Amino acid sequence: MFSKILIANRGEIALRIQRACRKMGIASVVAYSEADRESRAVQLADEAVCIGPAESRRSYLSASALLSAALVAGCDAVHPGYGFLSEDDTFAEMVRAHGLTFIGPPPEVLERFASKAGTRTLLGKHGLPTIPGSGMLRDDAHALAEADRIGYPVLIKPSAGGGGKGMRMVRSPRELQQAMTICRSEAMAAFHDDSLYLEKWLEDNRHVEVQVVVDRYGNGVHVGERDCSVQRRHQKVLEEARSPAMTDGQREALCEAAIHAVVAAGYENLGTLEFLLDRDGNFFFIEINCRIQVEHPVTEMLSGMDLVAEQIRIAAGEPLGYGQQDVVLNGHALEFRINAEDTAHDFRPQAGIVERYVAPGGPFVRMDSHLYSGYEVPPYYDSMLGKLIVWGRDRNEAIARSRDAIDELVVDGIVTNIPLHRALLDHDTFLHGEFTTNLLDRVGSAAFLREAAA
Amino acid sequence: MTDEQLEQTAQARATIARLADEVVPILIERLAKSDLGELEVRENGWRVRLRRPLADGAAAAAPVAHSSQRQPHPVMAPASSGGPREALRGVVASPAVGYFAPRIGVEVGSKLRSGDPLGYVDVLGVRQEVVSPIDGALRGFEVESGQAVEYGQPIARVEAEA
Repeated sequence: MFSKILIANRGEIALRIQRACRKMGIASVVAYSEADRESRAVQLADEAVCIGPAESRRSYLSASALLSAALVAGCDAVHPGYGFLSEDDTFAEMVRAHGLTFIGPPPEVLERFASKAGTRTLLGKHGLPTIPGSGMLRDDAHALAEADRIGYPVLIKPSAGGGGKGMRMVRSPRELQQAMTICRSEAMAAFHDDSLYLEKWLEDNRHVEVQVVVDRYGNGVHVGERDCSVQRRHQKVLEEARSPAMTDGQREALCEAAIHAVVAAGYENLGTLEFLLDRDGNFFFIEINCRIQVEHPVTEMLSGMDLVAEQIRIAAGEPLGYGQQDVVLNGHALEFRINAEDTAHDFRPQAGIVERYVAPGGPFVRMDSHLYSGYEVPPYYDSMLGKLIVWGRDRNEAIARSRDAIDELVVDGIVTNIPLHRALLDHDTFLHGEFTTNLLDRVGSAAFLREAAA
Repeated sequence: MTDEQLEQTAQARATIARLADEVVPILIERLAKSDLGELEVRENGWRVRLRRPLADGAAAAAPVAHSSQRQPHPVMAPASSGGPREALRGVVASPAVGYFAPRIGVEVGSKLRSGDPLGYVDVLGVRQEVVSPIDGALRGFEVESGQAVEYGQPIARVEAEA
């Protein structure tokens, strides 16, 4: 097992990794940028190292700064969290070349799954139905030709990273041409890589993903599915498990197909396979995320597993030590992403001082957040302030408990999306579990809020 | 070495020479024109990566709405203390996280011009220069040779000429 881990991330996930390390008796070092000097993770750190200025290109996205910090602090492993360099095979390889372990899939596995088009082909061969799509787009002419072949509407997606950044759905060649430039610059800003590809857009789809855990020796389990259909412009807003749209038979078929395919394709460590589910219950594989995900607590609430600890254990070379029959999923959980953004005004990101922060409490309520009263949200990074996760024996109980928890949550001094969550919890389509990924975008979120208030 | 190994070594040398002659100059030019921090190409199992020195580059632009006007971080800020800016002048802050080594010949009392190197920080074997922020005389080093430093950590103090 590792003796000291560098936490190469910020915000709530830095805290989450810190907690896993503490539980496992491993020392941790927080790598932070100048803008995060006052962060909760730094305050709680055993050790902290300033790696660079606020600009992420020179701090959280700088492989050399992070690795140098790990070496200077005497770490033997690096946990990349999510976003930033979490799926960067070059970084993973640099970490290994310096004798340290990257907590995630080994570099060659990351490289095998790095191309989204390549991964679709690979997992398609191992039995997963895949969504029609293009390879990497060379230029606009190539994009137009590929979109014609696939058939509109199509979704433009950045090849690096996820989180909905740099994504646009377009219905015509004209829209495609206009959107390409925007997507390229968004992808460049978010992932330092502007390569794009196309995917067939399914109308009225749901977004369902499967959590898998696979060790180095080819033992793997799935930990059920998560439904992430509540989105706004391809950004997840609320996640839940189990999916309210699937029967037990469908879940079983999806999860079994997913774990079978990734084990056969030689995947290793924690991963999430994302699927689109169409109106008729058919599922199509879209991509795999080779890292811990924002919404992992939903699965932890159902399974009782500590997924970050599992990730660390597997990276250290330990065998899984349990089988599919040992993974038991209980009840229902919802996760609400609390973001510093103005829902009523085009989700404009906000920064500034959180004058008062009070986390909700009570049984089966979990708040993963790096906020504290007086904390200043820096303007340089993601707008996520934390995640509220609530469990119930069934969906109705989880929703009822969520309403109370959302009401207890106080974040003053900065505009957040809490009103959107309140509106969702009162919305018939959501309550009946019949929503698709365009629930919010169809009417626009400002209209959605007004509708809910009326 | 066997003949085969010798031939492989010779081939590898030839490839390195070709990459250095043909690929590297083009990459340098591309990197200089772009605002990228790093550029990498892979070819036939070879990989060439160029990295811009970290200290080079403008401060980040704030990409989002902000409720209060914030002063941009001074490029040479000390690790802690937010004292008045005048007091910061003359503090030589580390440009990166790594190991510090002073420049041979630079010692207390040495006269320095703004931009003169007084040592470097070793970042994974790449040297990043530590330069004087002002014209003046070196008052002293805050860290020892070979000591680990973090970004922004005070490395030395330079006193302005009266």
